Amino acid sequence: MKTRILGFVALFAVIGAAINGLFVVPADLNQGDAQRVMYVHVASAWLAYASFGVTAIAGLVYLIRRDVRLDALALAGAEVGVMFTAFAIWGGMMWGRPVWGVYWQWEDPRLTTTALLLALYVGYLLLRRLTDDPARRAGRAAVVGLIAAVDIPIVHFSVIWWRGLHQGPTIGDPSKILNPSAPLQFVLALLAMLAAFTLVWVYLLIRRYQLARLEWQLEDEARRGRVAAARQVAVPSGVEEPAG
Amino acid sequence: MNALRRDLSVAIAIARKDALSELRGRQAAGSTIFFAAIVLLLFGFALGPDSRRLAEAAPGLLWLAIVFGGLLTMARLHQLEADDGAFEQLALYPVDRRAIYAGKALAGAAAMLVLGGLLLPVVAILYAIPVGAAWLPLLAAVVLGAIGFAAIGTAYAGLTVRMRAREVMLPLLMLPIVAPLLLAAVKATVAALGGDPLGELGSWLQLLVAFDVIMLVVGAGTYGFLLED
Amino acid sequence: MTDAGFVIAAYGVILGGIALYAALLARRLRNAREASGRSDDADSPR
Repeated sequence: MKTRILGFVALFAVIGAAINGLFVVPADLNQGDAQRVMYVHVASAWLAYASFGVTAIAGLVYLIRRDVRLDALALAGAEVGVMFTAFAIWGGMMWGRPVWGVYWQWEDPRLTTTALLLALYVGYLLLRRLTDDPARRAGRAAVVGLIAAVDIPIVHFSVIWWRGLHQGPTIGDPSKILNPSAPLQFVLALLAMLAAFTLVWVYLLIRRYQLARLEWQLEDEARRGRVAAARQVAVPSGVEEPAG
Repeated sequence: MNALRRDLSVAIAIARKDALSELRGRQAAGSTIFFAAIVLLLFGFALGPDSRRLAEAAPGLLWLAIVFGGLLTMARLHQLEADDGAFEQLALYPVDRRAIYAGKALAGAAAMLVLGGLLLPVVAILYAIPVGAAWLPLLAAVVLGAIGFAAIGTAYAGLTVRMRAREVMLPLLMLPIVAPLLLAAVKATVAALGGDPLGELGSWLQLLVAFDVIMLVVGAGTYGFLLED
Repeated sequence: MTDAGFVIAAYGVILGGIALYAALLARRLRNAREASGRSDDADSPR
Protein backbone atom coordinates (compact mmCIF):
# COMPACT_ATOMS: atom_id res chain seq x y z
CA MET A 1 0.00 0.00 0.00
CA LYS A 2 1.14 3.45 -0.81
CA THR A 3 0.86 4.70 2.72
CA ARG A 4 3.07 1.93 4.02
CA ILE A 5 5.72 2.84 1.47
CA LEU A 6 5.45 6.46 2.55
CA GLY A 7 5.95 5.31 6.12
CA PHE A 8 9.19 3.56 5.30
CA VAL A 9 10.48 6.43 3.22
CA ALA A 10 9.69 8.78 6.07
CA LEU A 11 11.45 6.50 8.53
CA PHE A 12 14.65 6.43 6.49
CA ALA A 13 14.46 10.16 5.87
CA VAL A 14 14.22 10.88 9.58
CA ILE A 15 17.07 8.52 10.40
CA GLY A 16 19.20 10.16 7.74
CA ALA A 17 18.39 13.69 8.84
CA ALA A 18 19.00 12.78 12.47
CA ILE A 19 22.39 11.27 11.73
CA ASN A 20 23.22 14.35 9.72
CA GLY A 21 22.14 16.69 12.46
CA LEU A 22 23.80 14.77 15.26
CA PHE A 23 27.08 13.66 13.74
CA VAL A 24 27.76 15.07 10.29
CA VAL A 25 27.09 18.75 10.77
CA PRO A 26 29.63 20.55 12.97
CA ALA A 27 28.71 22.13 16.27
CA ASP A 28 27.97 25.81 16.43
CA LEU A 29 30.76 28.16 17.45
CA ASN A 30 28.68 29.91 20.11
CA GLN A 31 26.01 27.44 21.11
CA GLY A 32 28.01 24.26 20.81
CA ASP A 33 26.25 20.97 20.46
CA ALA A 34 23.03 22.45 21.78
CA GLN A 35 22.54 23.96 18.34
CA ARG A 36 21.69 20.47 17.07
CA VAL A 37 18.45 20.54 19.03
CA MET A 38 17.27 23.36 16.80
CA TYR A 39 16.83 21.01 13.87
CA VAL A 40 14.16 18.91 15.57
CA HIS A 41 12.78 21.85 17.52
CA VAL A 42 12.13 24.07 14.52
CA ALA A 43 10.86 21.18 12.39
CA SER A 44 8.43 20.18 15.13
CA ALA A 45 7.20 23.74 15.49
CA TRP A 46 6.58 24.17 11.77
CA LEU A 47 4.58 20.98 11.56
CA ALA A 48 2.66 21.90 14.68
CA TYR A 49 1.46 25.09 13.03
CA ALA A 50 0.80 23.25 9.76
CA SER A 51 -1.31 20.72 11.63
CA PHE A 52 -3.47 23.35 13.20
CA GLY A 53 -3.86 25.00 9.84
CA VAL A 54 -5.26 21.72 8.60
CA THR A 55 -7.62 21.52 11.58
CA ALA A 56 -8.86 25.06 11.14
CA ILE A 57 -9.42 24.81 7.40
CA ALA A 58 -10.95 21.34 7.56
CA GLY A 59 -13.29 22.59 10.25
CA LEU A 60 -14.23 25.65 8.27
CA VAL A 61 -15.04 23.64 5.16
CA TYR A 62 -16.92 21.17 7.31
CA LEU A 63 -19.21 23.95 8.53
CA ILE A 64 -19.97 24.71 4.90
CA ARG A 65 -20.15 21.23 3.41
CA ARG A 66 -21.02 19.06 6.43
CA ASP A 67 -18.88 16.21 5.11
CA VAL A 68 -17.86 14.08 8.10
CA ARG A 69 -14.62 13.14 6.40
CA LEU A 70 -13.52 16.72 6.91
CA ASP A 71 -14.16 16.37 10.61
CA ALA A 72 -11.98 13.26 10.65
CA LEU A 73 -9.23 15.26 8.99
CA ALA A 74 -9.63 18.05 11.52
CA LEU A 75 -9.31 15.58 14.38
CA ALA A 76 -6.22 14.03 12.82
CA GLY A 77 -4.66 17.46 12.45
CA ALA A 78 -5.37 18.39 16.04
CA GLU A 79 -4.01 15.22 17.58
CA VAL A 80 -0.88 15.17 15.45
CA GLY A 81 -0.56 18.89 16.08
CA VAL A 82 -0.70 18.55 19.85
CA MET A 83 2.06 15.98 19.64
CA PHE A 84 4.33 18.15 17.53
CA THR A 85 3.57 21.16 19.72
CA ALA A 86 4.61 19.23 22.80
CA PHE A 87 7.79 18.21 20.97
CA ALA A 88 8.47 21.78 19.98
CA ILE A 89 8.17 22.93 23.59
CA TRP A 90 10.33 20.06 24.77
CA GLY A 91 12.93 20.89 22.14
CA GLY A 92 12.81 24.52 23.14
CA MET A 93 13.47 23.56 26.75
CA MET A 94 16.28 21.19 25.85
CA TRP A 95 17.88 23.98 23.86
CA GLY A 96 17.16 26.67 26.38
CA ARG A 97 18.72 24.98 29.41
CA PRO A 98 22.26 24.69 27.99
CA VAL A 99 22.15 27.98 26.07
CA TRP A 100 20.17 30.29 28.34
CA GLY A 101 20.74 28.44 31.58
CA VAL A 102 17.01 28.13 32.12
CA TYR A 103 14.35 25.77 30.83
CA TRP A 104 11.83 28.53 30.33
CA GLN A 105 12.21 32.12 29.23
CA TRP A 106 9.16 34.37 29.36
CA GLU A 107 10.79 36.84 27.03
CA ASP A 108 11.00 34.36 24.17
CA PRO A 109 7.89 35.03 22.14
CA ARG A 110 7.88 31.72 20.31
CA LEU A 111 8.09 29.61 23.42
CA THR A 112 5.16 31.38 25.04
CA THR A 113 3.12 31.35 21.84
CA THR A 114 3.74 27.62 21.43
CA ALA A 115 2.67 27.00 25.02
CA LEU A 116 -0.61 28.76 24.33
CA LEU A 117 -0.94 26.74 21.13
CA LEU A 118 -0.72 23.60 23.22
CA ALA A 119 -3.35 24.88 25.63
CA LEU A 120 -5.69 25.83 22.81
CA TYR A 121 -5.59 22.48 21.10
CA VAL A 122 -5.66 20.34 24.19
CA GLY A 123 -8.88 22.21 24.92
CA TYR A 124 -10.04 21.34 21.40
CA LEU A 125 -9.40 17.64 21.97
CA LEU A 126 -11.10 17.69 25.37
CA LEU A 127 -14.11 19.41 23.88
CA ARG A 128 -14.39 16.62 21.34
CA ARG A 129 -14.04 13.98 23.99
CA LEU A 130 -16.81 15.50 26.10
CA THR A 131 -19.33 15.69 23.25
CA ASP A 132 -21.09 12.45 22.46
CA ASP A 133 -23.26 13.33 19.51
CA PRO A 134 -21.06 13.13 16.39
CA ALA A 135 -22.75 15.96 14.50
CA ARG A 136 -22.63 18.27 17.49
CA ARG A 137 -19.05 17.29 18.16
CA ALA A 138 -17.97 18.09 14.63
CA GLY A 139 -19.75 21.44 14.59
CA ARG A 140 -18.46 22.58 17.98
CA ALA A 141 -14.96 21.41 17.20
CA ALA A 142 -14.97 23.27 13.91
CA VAL A 143 -15.92 26.53 15.64
CA VAL A 144 -13.33 26.10 18.36
CA GLY A 145 -10.62 25.12 15.90
CA LEU A 146 -11.39 28.18 13.83
CA ILE A 147 -11.36 30.57 16.76
CA ALA A 148 -8.13 29.06 18.06
CA ALA A 149 -6.48 29.52 14.67
CA VAL A 150 -7.63 33.13 14.51
CA ASP A 151 -6.24 33.76 17.98
CA ILE A 152 -2.73 32.58 17.16
CA PRO A 153 -1.65 35.59 15.08
CA ILE A 154 -2.99 37.89 17.79
CA VAL A 155 -0.99 36.01 20.39
CA HIS A 156 2.08 36.15 18.18
CA PHE A 157 2.04 39.91 17.84
CA SER A 158 1.04 40.64 21.39
CA VAL A 159 3.85 38.50 22.79
CA ILE A 160 6.43 40.11 20.53
CA TRP A 161 5.34 43.58 21.62
CA TRP A 162 5.32 42.34 25.20
CA ARG A 163 9.04 41.81 25.04
CA GLY A 164 9.23 45.49 24.22
CA LEU A 165 12.52 47.16 24.80
CA HIS A 166 14.23 44.02 26.06
CA GLN A 167 15.80 42.51 23.04
CA GLY A 168 16.18 38.76 22.99
CA PRO A 169 19.25 37.29 24.61
CA THR A 170 22.18 38.18 22.34
CA ILE A 171 24.01 34.94 22.82
CA GLY A 172 21.73 32.13 21.92
CA ASP A 173 19.01 33.65 19.83
CA PRO A 174 16.94 30.73 18.62
CA SER A 175 16.03 32.49 15.42
CA LYS A 176 19.67 32.69 14.42
CA ILE A 177 19.31 29.54 12.45
CA LEU A 178 16.61 31.09 10.32
CA ASN A 179 18.78 34.06 9.49
CA PRO A 180 19.77 34.23 5.81
CA SER A 181 23.39 34.62 6.81
CA ALA A 182 23.47 31.37 8.77
CA PRO A 183 26.10 28.84 7.68
CA LEU A 184 24.90 26.79 4.71
CA GLN A 185 25.47 23.45 6.40
CA PHE A 186 23.14 24.37 9.24
CA VAL A 187 20.47 25.56 6.87
CA LEU A 188 20.69 22.38 4.84
CA ALA A 189 20.54 20.26 7.96
CA LEU A 190 17.42 22.09 9.06
CA LEU A 191 15.81 21.71 5.64
CA ALA A 192 16.64 18.01 5.61
CA MET A 193 15.01 17.52 9.01
CA LEU A 194 12.05 19.60 7.92
CA ALA A 195 11.57 17.49 4.80
CA ALA A 196 11.87 14.26 6.76
CA PHE A 197 9.44 15.47 9.41
CA THR A 198 7.01 16.56 6.74
CA LEU A 199 6.98 13.04 5.30
CA VAL A 200 6.36 11.69 8.79
CA TRP A 201 3.62 14.25 9.28
CA VAL A 202 1.78 13.29 6.12
CA TYR A 203 2.06 9.62 7.04
CA LEU A 204 0.72 10.18 10.56
CA LEU A 205 -2.09 12.38 9.28
CA ILE A 206 -3.19 9.70 6.83
CA ARG A 207 -3.13 7.00 9.48
CA ARG A 208 -4.94 9.10 12.06
CA TYR A 209 -7.51 10.08 9.43
CA GLN A 210 -8.11 6.45 8.55
CA LEU A 211 -8.50 5.60 12.20
CA ALA A 212 -10.94 8.44 12.72
CA ARG A 213 -13.06 7.29 9.78
CA LEU A 214 -13.15 3.72 11.04
CA GLU A 215 -14.04 4.76 14.56
CA TRP A 216 -16.75 7.06 13.26
CA GLN A 217 -18.25 4.21 11.28
CA LEU A 218 -18.09 1.89 14.27
CA GLU A 219 -19.73 4.55 16.39
CA ASP A 220 -22.38 5.07 13.76
CA GLU A 221 -23.13 1.36 13.52
CA ALA A 222 -23.35 1.09 17.27
CA ARG A 223 -25.77 3.95 17.37
CA ARG A 224 -27.94 2.46 14.65
CA GLY A 225 -27.87 -0.84 16.50
CA ARG A 226 -29.11 0.84 19.65
CA VAL A 227 -31.87 2.61 17.73
CA ALA A 228 -32.96 -0.64 16.06
CA ALA A 229 -32.93 -2.48 19.38
CA ALA A 230 -35.01 0.23 20.98
CA ARG A 231 -37.52 0.01 18.13
CA GLN A 232 -37.89 -3.70 18.65
CA VAL A 233 -38.52 -3.28 22.33
CA ALA A 234 -41.28 -0.83 21.50
CA VAL A 235 -43.08 -3.35 19.28
CA PRO A 236 -46.00 -5.01 21.15
CA SER A 237 -45.25 -8.64 21.90
CA GLY A 238 -47.00 -11.33 19.89
CA VAL A 239 -47.61 -9.09 16.91
CA GLU A 240 -44.15 -9.38 15.40
CA GLU A 241 -41.13 -11.45 16.10
CA PRO A 242 -38.02 -9.39 16.67
CA ALA A 243 -35.57 -10.06 13.85
CA GLY A 244 -32.38 -12.04 14.60
CA MET B 1 -32.85 48.68 5.68
CA ASN B 2 -35.92 47.22 7.31
CA ALA B 3 -34.07 44.00 7.92
CA LEU B 4 -31.29 45.92 9.63
CA ARG B 5 -33.73 47.74 11.84
CA ARG B 6 -35.43 44.50 12.75
CA ASP B 7 -32.15 42.82 13.58
CA LEU B 8 -31.13 45.79 15.67
CA SER B 9 -34.35 45.69 17.62
CA VAL B 10 -33.91 41.97 18.20
CA ALA B 11 -30.40 42.53 19.48
CA ILE B 12 -31.50 45.31 21.80
CA ALA B 13 -34.46 43.27 23.01
CA ILE B 14 -32.19 40.40 23.91
CA ALA B 15 -29.71 42.67 25.61
CA ARG B 16 -32.48 44.34 27.60
CA LYS B 17 -33.89 40.99 28.65
CA ASP B 18 -30.48 39.89 29.89
CA ALA B 19 -29.91 43.17 31.67
CA LEU B 20 -33.27 42.90 33.39
CA SER B 21 -32.66 39.34 34.52
CA GLU B 22 -29.26 40.43 35.80
CA LEU B 23 -30.82 43.22 37.82
CA ARG B 24 -33.67 41.08 39.09
CA GLY B 25 -31.55 38.07 39.95
CA ARG B 26 -29.40 40.46 41.88
CA GLN B 27 -27.85 37.87 44.09
CA ALA B 28 -26.16 36.12 41.18
CA ALA B 29 -24.55 39.19 39.67
CA GLY B 30 -23.66 40.59 43.06
CA SER B 31 -22.21 37.29 44.18
CA THR B 32 -19.93 37.21 41.19
CA ILE B 33 -18.67 40.71 41.84
CA PHE B 34 -18.13 39.83 45.47
CA PHE B 35 -16.28 36.69 44.45
CA ALA B 36 -13.94 38.72 42.27
CA ALA B 37 -13.32 41.12 45.13
CA ILE B 38 -12.47 38.22 47.42
CA VAL B 39 -10.07 36.95 44.77
CA LEU B 40 -8.37 40.34 44.87
CA LEU B 41 -8.16 40.09 48.62
CA LEU B 42 -6.68 36.63 48.43
CA PHE B 43 -4.05 37.81 46.01
CA GLY B 44 -2.95 40.15 48.75
CA PHE B 45 -2.45 37.23 51.09
CA ALA B 46 -0.66 35.25 48.43
CA LEU B 47 1.75 37.96 47.31
CA GLY B 48 1.93 40.32 50.25
CA PRO B 49 2.53 41.85 52.66
CA ASP B 50 5.17 43.96 50.93
CA SER B 51 3.05 46.81 49.62
CA ARG B 52 5.54 47.80 46.96
CA ARG B 53 5.44 44.35 45.43
CA LEU B 54 1.64 44.39 45.57
CA ALA B 55 1.48 47.80 43.95
CA GLU B 56 3.63 46.56 41.10
CA ALA B 57 1.50 43.47 40.69
CA ALA B 58 -1.80 45.32 41.03
CA PRO B 59 -2.66 45.77 37.34
CA GLY B 60 -2.11 42.09 36.67
CA LEU B 61 -4.13 41.10 39.71
CA LEU B 62 -6.95 43.41 38.74
CA TRP B 63 -7.28 41.84 35.33
CA LEU B 64 -6.98 38.32 36.66
CA ALA B 65 -9.87 39.07 39.00
CA ILE B 66 -11.84 40.51 36.08
CA VAL B 67 -11.14 37.37 34.03
CA PHE B 68 -12.17 34.98 36.80
CA GLY B 69 -15.28 36.97 37.57
CA GLY B 70 -15.92 37.26 33.86
CA LEU B 71 -15.96 33.50 33.42
CA LEU B 72 -18.73 33.22 35.98
CA THR B 73 -20.55 36.14 34.42
CA MET B 74 -20.56 34.77 30.90
CA ALA B 75 -21.68 31.35 32.10
CA ARG B 76 -24.49 32.88 34.09
CA LEU B 77 -25.74 34.91 31.14
CA HIS B 78 -26.26 31.74 29.17
CA GLN B 79 -27.42 29.52 31.99
CA LEU B 80 -30.96 30.79 31.92
CA GLU B 81 -31.53 29.95 28.28
CA ALA B 82 -29.84 26.62 28.67
CA ASP B 83 -32.01 25.60 31.60
CA ASP B 84 -35.23 26.62 29.88
CA GLY B 85 -34.33 25.06 26.58
CA ALA B 86 -34.61 28.50 25.07
CA PHE B 87 -31.63 27.99 22.81
CA GLU B 88 -33.55 25.53 20.72
CA GLN B 89 -36.43 27.98 20.47
CA LEU B 90 -34.13 30.83 19.57
CA ALA B 91 -32.74 28.70 16.80
CA LEU B 92 -36.24 28.38 15.32
CA TYR B 93 -36.80 32.12 15.04
CA PRO B 94 -36.32 33.42 11.50
CA VAL B 95 -33.97 36.11 12.71
CA ASP B 96 -30.37 36.73 11.78
CA ARG B 97 -28.15 34.75 14.15
CA ARG B 98 -25.80 37.65 14.31
CA ALA B 99 -28.51 39.78 15.86
CA ILE B 100 -28.94 37.24 18.64
CA TYR B 101 -25.19 37.17 19.10
CA ALA B 102 -25.02 40.95 19.15
CA GLY B 103 -27.64 41.15 21.86
CA LYS B 104 -25.97 38.57 24.07
CA ALA B 105 -22.54 40.08 23.51
CA LEU B 106 -23.87 43.53 24.35
CA ALA B 107 -25.32 42.25 27.60
CA GLY B 108 -22.07 40.44 28.32
CA ALA B 109 -19.98 43.52 27.69
CA ALA B 110 -22.20 45.59 29.94
CA ALA B 111 -21.93 43.03 32.72
CA MET B 112 -18.15 42.90 32.32
CA LEU B 113 -17.98 46.68 32.38
CA VAL B 114 -19.87 46.77 35.65
CA LEU B 115 -17.56 44.12 37.04
CA GLY B 116 -14.42 45.93 35.98
CA GLY B 117 -15.71 49.29 37.07
CA LEU B 118 -16.52 48.03 40.54
CA LEU B 119 -13.21 46.25 40.92
CA LEU B 120 -11.15 49.33 40.08
CA PRO B 121 -11.80 51.09 43.40
CA VAL B 122 -11.24 47.81 45.25
CA VAL B 123 -7.83 47.46 43.67
CA ALA B 124 -7.08 51.11 44.20
CA ILE B 125 -7.75 50.75 47.91
CA LEU B 126 -6.22 47.33 48.54
CA TYR B 127 -3.03 47.99 46.62
CA ALA B 128 -2.70 51.72 47.09
CA ILE B 129 -2.93 52.60 43.42
CA PRO B 130 -3.35 56.29 42.66
CA VAL B 131 -5.95 56.16 39.91
CA GLY B 132 -6.53 59.89 39.73
CA ALA B 133 -5.48 61.44 36.47
CA ALA B 134 -5.26 58.13 34.66
CA TRP B 135 -8.96 57.41 34.91
CA LEU B 136 -9.69 57.99 31.22
CA PRO B 137 -7.16 55.59 29.68
CA LEU B 138 -7.98 53.16 32.49
CA LEU B 139 -11.63 53.34 31.57
CA ALA B 140 -10.73 52.81 27.91
CA ALA B 141 -8.79 49.70 28.81
CA VAL B 142 -11.66 48.34 30.89
CA VAL B 143 -14.22 49.07 28.17
CA LEU B 144 -12.12 47.46 25.45
CA GLY B 145 -11.29 44.51 27.66
CA ALA B 146 -14.94 44.05 28.53
CA ILE B 147 -15.97 44.06 24.88
CA GLY B 148 -13.29 41.57 23.87
CA PHE B 149 -14.02 39.21 26.74
CA ALA B 150 -17.74 39.32 26.07
CA ALA B 151 -17.20 38.84 22.34
CA ILE B 152 -15.45 35.52 22.73
CA GLY B 153 -17.24 34.68 25.97
CA THR B 154 -20.65 34.83 24.34
CA ALA B 155 -19.63 32.33 21.68
CA TYR B 156 -17.91 29.94 24.05
CA ALA B 157 -20.54 30.21 26.77
CA GLY B 158 -23.20 29.38 24.22
CA LEU B 159 -21.13 26.40 23.21
CA THR B 160 -20.24 25.02 26.61
CA VAL B 161 -23.31 25.75 28.68
CA ARG B 162 -25.11 22.62 27.52
CA MET B 163 -22.09 20.38 27.79
CA ARG B 164 -20.89 17.82 30.24
CA ALA B 165 -18.29 19.26 32.58
CA ARG B 166 -19.42 22.73 31.57
CA GLU B 167 -17.90 24.34 34.67
CA VAL B 168 -14.42 23.45 33.51
CA MET B 169 -14.93 23.63 29.75
CA LEU B 170 -15.67 27.33 29.61
CA PRO B 171 -12.49 28.36 31.48
CA LEU B 172 -10.47 25.73 29.64
CA LEU B 173 -11.46 27.13 26.27
CA MET B 174 -11.55 30.81 27.25
CA LEU B 175 -8.31 31.28 29.14
CA PRO B 176 -5.86 30.54 26.32
CA ILE B 177 -7.91 32.65 23.92
CA VAL B 178 -7.97 35.70 26.18
CA ALA B 179 -4.25 35.53 26.97
CA PRO B 180 -3.45 38.34 24.49
CA LEU B 181 -6.35 40.39 25.82
CA LEU B 182 -5.08 39.94 29.35
CA LEU B 183 -1.56 40.82 28.32
CA ALA B 184 -2.59 43.96 26.45
CA ALA B 185 -5.06 45.13 29.09
CA VAL B 186 -2.48 44.80 31.86
CA LYS B 187 0.17 46.57 29.82
CA ALA B 188 -2.26 49.36 29.02
CA THR B 189 -3.19 49.65 32.69
CA VAL B 190 0.44 49.80 33.74
CA ALA B 191 1.17 52.43 31.11
CA ALA B 192 -1.84 54.49 32.11
CA LEU B 193 -1.01 54.39 35.81
CA GLY B 194 2.62 55.23 35.23
CA GLY B 195 1.94 58.20 33.00
CA ASP B 196 2.91 56.24 29.88
CA PRO B 197 6.67 56.92 29.95
CA LEU B 198 7.37 54.75 26.92
CA GLY B 199 4.46 55.99 24.87
CA GLU B 200 3.12 52.49 24.44
CA LEU B 201 -0.39 53.05 25.79
CA GLY B 202 -1.74 53.71 22.32
CA SER B 203 -0.27 50.52 20.89
CA TRP B 204 -1.77 48.37 23.61
CA LEU B 205 -5.17 49.95 23.25
CA GLN B 206 -4.94 49.35 19.52
CA LEU B 207 -4.17 45.72 20.12
CA LEU B 208 -7.25 45.52 22.32
CA VAL B 209 -9.33 47.08 19.56
CA ALA B 210 -7.96 44.58 17.05
CA PHE B 211 -8.75 41.71 19.40
CA ASP B 212 -12.25 43.02 19.94
CA VAL B 213 -12.98 43.44 16.25
CA ILE B 214 -11.62 40.04 15.30
CA MET B 215 -13.47 38.24 18.07
CA LEU B 216 -16.72 40.04 17.36
CA VAL B 217 -16.53 39.09 13.70
CA VAL B 218 -15.65 35.47 14.41
CA GLY B 219 -18.18 35.22 17.20
CA ALA B 220 -20.98 36.63 15.11
CA GLY B 221 -20.02 34.41 12.20
CA THR B 222 -20.03 31.19 14.17
CA TYR B 223 -22.87 31.81 16.62
CA GLY B 224 -25.42 30.51 14.15
CA PHE B 225 -23.67 27.13 14.03
CA LEU B 226 -23.63 26.97 17.80
CA LEU B 227 -27.33 27.72 18.08
CA GLU B 228 -28.25 24.99 15.65
CA ASP B 229 -26.47 22.53 17.89
CA MET C 1 23.96 17.31 32.43
CA THR C 2 26.37 18.05 29.62
CA ASP C 3 25.19 19.62 26.40
CA ALA C 4 25.24 16.22 24.77
CA GLY C 5 22.80 15.02 27.37
CA PHE C 6 20.29 17.69 26.40
CA VAL C 7 20.71 16.88 22.72
CA ILE C 8 20.10 13.20 23.38
CA ALA C 9 17.10 14.03 25.53
CA ALA C 10 15.69 16.19 22.77
CA TYR C 11 16.18 13.73 19.92
CA GLY C 12 15.28 10.77 22.05
CA VAL C 13 11.97 12.07 23.25
CA ILE C 14 10.95 13.61 19.93
CA LEU C 15 11.95 10.78 17.61
CA GLY C 16 10.96 8.17 20.14
CA GLY C 17 7.63 9.92 20.63
CA ILE C 18 6.97 9.87 16.91
CA ALA C 19 7.77 6.18 16.78
CA LEU C 20 5.53 5.47 19.77
CA TYR C 21 2.65 7.41 18.28
CA ALA C 22 3.02 5.63 14.94
CA ALA C 23 3.01 2.28 16.71
CA LEU C 24 -0.01 3.28 18.77
CA LEU C 25 -1.88 4.32 15.64
CA ALA C 26 -0.99 1.05 13.95
CA ARG C 27 -2.37 -0.92 16.89
CA ARG C 28 -5.59 1.11 17.09
CA LEU C 29 -6.09 0.77 13.34
CA ARG C 30 -5.66 -2.97 13.59
CA ASN C 31 -8.22 -3.20 16.37
CA ALA C 32 -10.67 -0.97 14.56
CA ARG C 33 -10.37 -2.96 11.35
CA GLU C 34 -10.99 -6.20 13.20
CA ALA C 35 -13.98 -4.72 14.96
CA SER C 36 -15.56 -3.57 11.75
CA GLY C 37 -14.69 -6.74 9.85
CA ARG C 38 -13.00 -4.81 7.13
CA SER C 39 -9.63 -5.71 5.78
CA ASP C 40 -9.03 -2.55 3.81
CA ASP C 41 -9.04 1.13 4.61
CA ALA C 42 -12.39 2.68 5.40
CA ASP C 43 -11.87 4.99 2.50
CA SER C 44 -8.85 6.35 0.78
CA PRO C 45 -7.59 9.67 2.07
CA ARG C 46 -8.89 12.64 0.11
